[in-house]
Amino acid sequence: MSSVAITPSTVSLPRCAQDLRAHIESSLGEHLSSTLRLQERAAPTTVPTGIAAIDALTQGLPRAALTEIAGPTSSGRTGVMLSALAAATRRQEVCALVDASDSFDPCSAAVAGIDLERLLWVRCNQAACATKRTRAKYQNSAFAFAGVLEQVLKVTDLLLQSGGFGMVVLDMGDIPAESVRRIPLTSWYRFRRAVEPTATVLLLIEQEPSAKTCASLVLQLQPEALCASNPSVERPFSTQQELQFSSPATKSAPALGSKNRLTYLQQGNVGRAVRSENYPPPHAMPLRGMRFRAEVVRSWANRKPPQSAGANFELRTAL
Amino acid sequence: MFACIYIPDFPVEAIARGEAFLRERAVAILDGKPPLTRVMALNEKARVLGMELGMTKLEAAVFADTEPTRGDDESSSEEHSARFDLAVLRQRSTERETSAHAALLDVAHAFTPRVEDTAPDTLLLDLTGLDRLYGTPGKMAGDLMSRITAVGMEANIAFAANPDAAMHTARGFNGTTIIPAGQEQKRLGVLPIQALLDTFEIAAQKKAAGKASERRSQQLHEQMLDTLERWGVRDFRTLALLPDHALASRLGEAGVQLRRLARGEGNRTLVLSAPPSRFEEAMELECAVETIESLSFMLNRLLEQLCTRLEARALAAHELHLRLQLEPRVADEETATEQQLVRSSVPSLNTTVQKVEARASSAAEAQAFRPAKHVTINGDSCPGREIKPIFERALCLPVSMCDSKVFLKLLQLELTAHPPGAPVTKIWITAEPAPPRSAQRGLFLPITPEAERLEITLARINAVVGERRAGIARLLDSHQQERFRMDRFAPAVSNPQKHDSPTSWDVNSSLPLALRIWRPARRLQVSLSDGQPNAVLLETRQPEQILLQGKILWSAGPWRSSGDWWTENAKQNGDRTATEQSGPWDREEWDIAVACAGKNNTRGECSNVALYRIYRDLATGDWFVDASYD
Repeated sequence: MSSVAITPSTVSLPRCAQDLRAHIESSLGEHLSSTLRLQERAAPTTVPTGIAAIDALTQGLPRAALTEIAGPTSSGRTGVMLSALAAATRRQEVCALVDASDSFDPCSAAVAGIDLERLLWVRCNQAACATKRTRAKYQNSAFAFAGVLEQVLKVTDLLLQSGGFGMVVLDMGDIPAESVRRIPLTSWYRFRRAVEPTATVLLLIEQEPSAKTCASLVLQLQPEALCASNPSVERPFSTQQELQFSSPATKSAPALGSKNRLTYLQQGNVGRAVRSENYPPPHAMPLRGMRFRAEVVRSWANRKPPQSAGANFELRTAL
Repeated sequence: MFACIYIPDFPVEAIARGEAFLRERAVAILDGKPPLTRVMALNEKARVLGMELGMTKLEAAVFADTEPTRGDDESSSEEHSARFDLAVLRQRSTERETSAHAALLDVAHAFTPRVEDTAPDTLLLDLTGLDRLYGTPGKMAGDLMSRITAVGMEANIAFAANPDAAMHTARGFNGTTIIPAGQEQKRLGVLPIQALLDTFEIAAQKKAAGKASERRSQQLHEQMLDTLERWGVRDFRTLALLPDHALASRLGEAGVQLRRLARGEGNRTLVLSAPPSRFEEAMELECAVETIESLSFMLNRLLEQLCTRLEARALAAHELHLRLQLEPRVADEETATEQQLVRSSVPSLNTTVQKVEARASSAAEAQAFRPAKHVTINGDSCPGREIKPIFERALCLPVSMCDSKVFLKLLQLELTAHPPGAPVTKIWITAEPAPPRSAQRGLFLPITPEAERLEITLARINAVVGERRAGIARLLDSHQQERFRMDRFAPAVSNPQKHDSPTSWDVNSSLPLALRIWRPARRLQVSLSDGQPNAVLLETRQPEQILLQGKILWSAGPWRSSGDWWTENAKQNGDRTATEQSGPWDREEWDIAVACAGKNNTRGECSNVALYRIYRDLATGDWFVDASYD
């Protein structure tokens, strides 16, 4: 038995069918008016992340939707998160951060421009969520983070039900991906439904995307290069040294910037720095920043991008 | 125009105010220490049953239902109807009478500032000039009656041209009575002379201070009543008809004054009272309550009464204090300290008490976030004496509120997090009054969480993640890592002047590289080459689980920092502020880039490069990793 999808606006129906439809609509009246009409979901309003490259790539973070930012350690996830929170608090919105691994750094947040008075920081507590026996039992398994994830989901539920938050961030960046994958899809669906009638941006920071189709925007981040400064030069940012990272995403990328002191050698997949004789001491070469690459995996604007869309951006230390 | 509010059977009304189901039952209030316990007040239904004032407890028990009475009685219908015919005996509660009187004063002061606190059950109001505001006396009477009903009492209200006539009318007639000017003598004439002497006695007692004067006025009252009865004077009309001079020669000045009052001609200036500044409701429980669910019913009643009082005065509360008297225990000789006494009284829940006491000891931190609970002991800890532990909690609200449901939910969550530890026998709830919140929201300002809902949400979140783990991070002035304090979350109201549109956000400003802190810092194995870190290894207790391992691709450092070295001496000298801070630190920091072997990468090949901040503790020489750059 085959089923035929009929779109009322595109397919021309026979006259009798149109009459029948008009008759049904008029007889059922206002009660079922919503079910008889095709409702197109309006494009969500977006808010800027504060990073021009990402805003240009994604058109901003959608409100009333779930956004995922995924990436490994040192991929710039936290920097993007802080930038988005700073932009939200500048708009005088009240934000909430559900910190699964209690890794939020208030000093970094203050430097990023976040108004800490407007940020509710919820520090999930692994010690409080399970008995000693349970912790010992599941210490080395994927269930080790089950208690923390349960706290994250409960707290998020409470925050979304409370309403009034401009941005709610779930920071699960240090939770292993296999543990986060155990969160049932119904939870993400529930969260999506909870934020749909609100103006809240629900942001999820993790190692790998896990909300699947519930996410309106999925952004994958990768580290590209490390920038260290040379103190002997007056304008350190213009003549910084770079250490490029080897990763599948950036293997074929062209070399970035000048590498006058550090030499990057390709040995298998491992990058190694070889130092020249006149190399300054290590304490004189502080970290100046990192360069990252962001790619859109899924977007509300373009569900199936024909080709990989990406952008590079740089985050700098406070030096 | 003057009004009088009179609450008949005031001790009964004070009890029934918190237990509405008692209004349908015959109630008698007992007072006095056993064996001299006697009925001191009863309602109309109890009088119909045949009960009288001054009955002993044994005599009253004949009419009474000996089973404990509750509002949610689940007995069978026959048994219920049989019990319904019996009276309910209750012990007098001075706390409830005080609360009821304060509620009455709140209502009166909300109506007019000119109020005389004549007696616990009687208030006189000067309504001169208020007809423009409230309308006719009939309308004013209806308004007053509805306000009194809202605070849970039934009253007689009377309006008259002078305060004494209004008081006699309220005491003599049920419901609302309005006497037009000039008709006082005619309307008051039917009242018994006893009512006149009662008010006369109240006035005399107010004038005379001290117990001796009170006794003297009582004797005078009895003598005068005897005299008037011998003369055949039994109502106001008869007394009003007596000649003035003859009465003065026989009863003196008091007789003349009584005659003037009986004619409804008395006029005097009201002694104005100040509105009550303390908002407290109390309830003494017949049976000790053990569960929070049962306690919630009582709390709900008290909170509703409290909120009604606050609303009557157009106020809200910014702080709530809950005091619970726990089940009394007899002190043993061995239990000397307070903690030991409490522990012995609640053996099953002593851990809670100990925990909260320990929390209370760290006063500075607890006060900054939320006042801690105190367990105090009433009375001396002498052997054989009843010890009444008091459990206290305080709720500091970020904004003033007046919603009993919000208060109840907050108290429930608070008690769930910190159970009292023993059955509860008495409850006090005190509200610190504050002006109600007035906020004018802008049309173009971003939405913010509703204060009441946010407070409940925060309490629920605290119940999930633990106390002091949800709030605002406030940075402290220190160079040490992790120097911040958690404060309670109370977002500031949006300022339309400060509001930045997204377009005005400077996207070209410097974007910082963020740190992710490892709490606590993990011990690390570091191999050195030429004094610089060469490779790192971080493993958990299980050797097969490796969190961080790899060659260091890049490193920068060391940067040495130290601080708080002065606290070492301060701690030795017993400085309390120094002991609350963390100890001294002295360390060398490095930034490293590590090629990590991914868990799924069995060949040990690099799947990711990550940046970490590691440090060497110079006091111990150990290496730690405390943050990653992200």
